[in-house]
Amino acid sequence: MITFDNVTKRYPGSYEALSNVSFSIEQGEMVYVTGHSGAGKSTLLKLMAAIERPTTGAVLINNQNVSKIKEATLPYVRRKFGLVFQDHKLLYDRNCYHNVALPLAINGITGHEAGKRIRAALDKVGLLGKEKVMPITLSGGEQQRLAIARAVVSRPSILIADEPTGNLDKNYAADILQLFNAFQQVGVTVIIATHDALGNANHQNKVLQLNQGRLVSLNQDKLVNSETLT
Amino acid sequence: MKTWLTQHAQALSLVLRRFKVSKLSTLLICLAIGVTLALPSMMYAALDSLSGLANNVKSESQMSIFLALNHNEDAISTIKTALEKNTAINAVKFVSKQDALSQLQAADTNKDVLNSLENNPLPDAFFITPNKLDTESIESLKKEISKLDGVDEVVVDGAWIKRLNYLLLLGKKAMLIIASLLAFALVAVIGNTIRMQILTQQAEIEVSQLIGATKSFIRRPFLYAGALYGLIGGLLALLITCVAIVLFNQSLAPLVTEYQTNFSLSFPNFLACVIICLLALIVGLISSYLAVSKSLFKSMH
Repeated sequence: MITFDNVTKRYPGSYEALSNVSFSIEQGEMVYVTGHSGAGKSTLLKLMAAIERPTTGAVLINNQNVSKIKEATLPYVRRKFGLVFQDHKLLYDRNCYHNVALPLAINGITGHEAGKRIRAALDKVGLLGKEKVMPITLSGGEQQRLAIARAVVSRPSILIADEPTGNLDKNYAADILQLFNAFQQVGVTVIIATHDALGNANHQNKVLQLNQGRLVSLNQDKLVNSETLT
Repeated sequence: MKTWLTQHAQALSLVLRRFKVSKLSTLLICLAIGVTLALPSMMYAALDSLSGLANNVKSESQMSIFLALNHNEDAISTIKTALEKNTAINAVKFVSKQDALSQLQAADTNKDVLNSLENNPLPDAFFITPNKLDTESIESLKKEISKLDGVDEVVVDGAWIKRLNYLLLLGKKAMLIIASLLAFALVAVIGNTIRMQILTQQAEIEVSQLIGATKSFIRRPFLYAGALYGLIGGLLALLITCVAIVLFNQSLAPLVTEYQTNFSLSFPNFLACVIICLLALIVGLISSYLAVSKSLFKSMH
């Protein structure tokens, strides 16, 4: 589904954020990307979501090479993904309902069909009663769940979350991870970047561990529980 | 096709919602555009009415054809038939030299001078009223008549009409120049407004791009906003122009009765209204397009 082949990413005037990274992710997998901050996790996710292009190497999404896709068709590639950003990127000038409506509007879905889907997504994250609430009044955990609702409302096949539990206390974090597990169980590929404890991750999950832009371990079947970085 | 329509309806309703939220600032911007456009519109209305006036006066204008003193008797009848056959001429009037002399003698002041003359110095003359009154057809008619045998001189009365026409032409050019300069001002006003809106929508634009919005999806609402600013501004300009014309005509009425004419400024006709609105819309569209393509995608890699 997603394949990285010797991918290097260098930002202008900067060191290599990623160097020679190769791996592949199958459909329906749950993948954790770990490493200290600055290890290249966010860059990795941006490359996956076709927000950035690799400097060298190839990123294949559904066998499509992102570097060779025309600029104008990139947005259509991005629509395959549901993105949960590190800083939520919620829009504070509109209520929860309209925040979740944005991806549907981009896909040209409006009216009754959109309403149904928005409520379903809000229901899934437990915010159905807060449709009309402005996001600024929500707690951190609720804002994170709203961001997840926005990511899943257009029913993407791949869900990418950057530090979804970063600023949350343990109970909230567990809730959120539970939510991602539920999505994975219905066949969505889930990719989560975290520098946080992986206590809740189950043993079948793949872990990509990054260190200063290099992939140091690709751990499929053995998750070292002691490797809790905080 | 259906998605295309949905997308446009979506953008339009978004823009209208934004207008509704910021009613006052929208109104002020449209008013600024309206006032800017009202200036050339009013000039156009004034020039249009004045050239109408010039046309009215011209219909009373004549051409005088003086025959050579030594022409033979046949010439008068040949010229007369030629003039009567000419379709460009409405009416022909012949005044013989004897008639002209007696007319002059009828006026007291000339008696002494005329009595001292040995023979009649006046030529036979035709006075004609041309059908078409524009400068070109009058010139060509003049040339045509000058070629006739026995014609000495052709004089077009009312040279001041010619001058008025040149002045009107000058006025029209001035109007065009002012209108195009003001169009640049409009580009700046609308462009800046759109740029400000882009700044306030920055978060939404960024998120939209990240989750797969195409450039045209992001650009569309701003283009609609620019076009609508232009259109509403154009309509306001027409309103301002009409109010100005009404007020002007009220004060003009007592003045023109003194001159015993019924001159008044006329309202711009339907076509002119459509053209003004359309031009305003196009200027709005162009300026928002420029603003959007300059500042919208700067943040993207």
